Amino acid sequence: MFMKILDHLEEIFISLLIGAATLITFTAVVHRYLASSNWIPSEAVQDWLIQLNLAWAQELTIILFVWMAKFGAAYGVRTGIHVGVDVLINQLSDRKRGVFIVIGLLAGAFFTGVIAVLGAHFVWENGAHYAWLTWRGLDVGDIPEGPTTPDLEWPTWIVYSAIPLGSSLMCFRFLQVTWSFLRTGELPHHDHGKVSGVEDEATPPKPGEDDRIYRMDDALHPHELKEPLLGEESKDADKEKRP
Amino acid sequence: MTELIIFGLLAVLMLTGMPISIALGLTVLTFLYTLTQVPIDAVALKLFTGIEKFEIMAIPFFILAGNFLTHGGVAKRMIRFATSLVGHWHGGLGLGAVVACALFAAVSGSSPATVVAIGSILLPAMLKAGYPRRFGAGVVASSGALGILIPPSIVMVMYAVSTNSSIGALFMAGVIPGLVLASMLLFTTWYRAKKNGYPREPRATWGQRWKAFREAIWGLMLIIVVMGGIYSGLFTPTEAAAMSAVYAFIVVVFVYRDFSIRDVPKVLLASANMSAMLLYIITNAVLFSFLLTHENIPQQISDWLMTSGLGVVGFLLAVNILLLLMGNFMEPSSIILITAPILFPIAMALGIDPVHFGVMITVNMEIGMITPPVGLNLYVASGISKLGLTEMSIAVWPWLLTMLVFLMIVTYYPPLSLWLPRTLGMM
Repeated sequence: MFMKILDHLEEIFISLLIGAATLITFTAVVHRYLASSNWIPSEAVQDWLIQLNLAWAQELTIILFVWMAKFGAAYGVRTGIHVGVDVLINQLSDRKRGVFIVIGLLAGAFFTGVIAVLGAHFVWENGAHYAWLTWRGLDVGDIPEGPTTPDLEWPTWIVYSAIPLGSSLMCFRFLQVTWSFLRTGELPHHDHGKVSGVEDEATPPKPGEDDRIYRMDDALHPHELKEPLLGEESKDADKEKRP
Repeated sequence: MTELIIFGLLAVLMLTGMPISIALGLTVLTFLYTLTQVPIDAVALKLFTGIEKFEIMAIPFFILAGNFLTHGGVAKRMIRFATSLVGHWHGGLGLGAVVACALFAAVSGSSPATVVAIGSILLPAMLKAGYPRRFGAGVVASSGALGILIPPSIVMVMYAVSTNSSIGALFMAGVIPGLVLASMLLFTTWYRAKKNGYPREPRATWGQRWKAFREAIWGLMLIIVVMGGIYSGLFTPTEAAAMSAVYAFIVVVFVYRDFSIRDVPKVLLASANMSAMLLYIITNAVLFSFLLTHENIPQQISDWLMTSGLGVVGFLLAVNILLLLMGNFMEPSSIILITAPILFPIAMALGIDPVHFGVMITVNMEIGMITPPVGLNLYVASGISKLGLTEMSIAVWPWLLTMLVFLMIVTYYPPLSLWLPRTLGMM
């Protein structure tokens, strides 16, 4: 139940971020064009447009996309979109490949875990500590307030907290995928090279299937195992292999 | 020595099959903790500031625009228009595929997406008309590669970002090579069709052509929005990308009605997923390139190559071979992000134009898209045509040879890429 809510929140969050960034950039361009054009009949409208300052749009777009990139990368672990060089390990036997896949997944969890800790430390030192003490009404001493962003003048520690939060989620996703891979031998991409789902006739992909081109069962992703590494079946398979 | 350790570590980590982004990141971490004294906080900051550039944001916007356009309407009308122009020659539908791919490439920044959009509609039609499956799959997979040479191009944005080149000039530089390659692919298609006696379509009248053009105009207008907008200075490339995403949304939802507004969240999610993956590679590649620069490695390699007396001709040949080899194992964006920080300073020291170098690298990436074992176009086309990967690799060889010839022309004749942006005063 909790997992389903987290999954949905993650999906809604990154979809909103990319949608919002597009609308903001679009609006800023249209605004700049209208404010400098001379075919707007009403002077009052023109003046109103000119006094609207959208200089912050670019900065906000960047912030939205950075957040989208960090949380989207975590979502990508769950959908198996991250590409690698899997030509070699796909030549190995199921069992050996399974070991390499687990190493890869744990390496991902390790890296994102380290980055989450580094990022959290960085955010704490650059304003989060100060904000915490101020909020609690405690003496801040010589702890720095931390910088703010140039246009929006938001505290950078809030903006930068995308790193620890996104990386923690990504680390969690790597562990989650490792666990399900150990038990089932399956990885989170089941498209097996088919771009379109129809058997006889190729059809254009349905909306929302576009990311399949990076999620195929190709040499950029490891093949799945027929038998899981853990569990009953794998023990049986082992026995069969032994002379 | 240092460079051997760094690249050796990266190679070993990558060959274990872990995501490229993670391999890059772990290489940097290992190196920083064991062999050097860069403050770790600087690394954490780089993780955020690495993609804090407005130019990079063109990538998610172009992906979003492309994902709106792949769903039938725009591609279908472009195919009809293309076929009305060239359909009456030998192998008419094949020629139509090349022209349609070139047109679609001018609104989309990705090669596999071009193959999906054109191939999934045109390939069934070609089979129905009596073309062999191999011919159809081969022509679509290879012409789809035009997607990253004809602007807009996600691969060119990657190059521009990692070398601080001008995206606008690169886009403009891709136009003429794109048209030349399209003509060469057309010739190969026509020649093979004529030799094997493939069918021709009835000749379209000028009235029919005009009608097909008018129907395709909504998609074709996007070319003017992007290229016209960038050239006239109305938009920056990133803004042009955002405009094209909004424009594409309006065209497919309200004009062509390919899908309803309820499908939009799904398209947003799929686009966010693809962009985040690429942006994550960029973030870690920026870390990696920061490490290389900190250790002064590009400079050392460059000095070593300069004293070894390798000239421009030899260097470009070596780069082509290196990139073609890497194209067999990796996906284009990662290749560019990893190699550009090393190759670019050398190219500059040898006096090679950055824009020309970028176009050459892009053509290499195109070829990488249709060579096994890793060729996204081959996989996508194999999914559409139901041909196996080995058969697909055989199917593309006539066009692959054409592209290799074209690569030599682009490499050793810089004016092909540089004339247009220079004439337009963009560089």
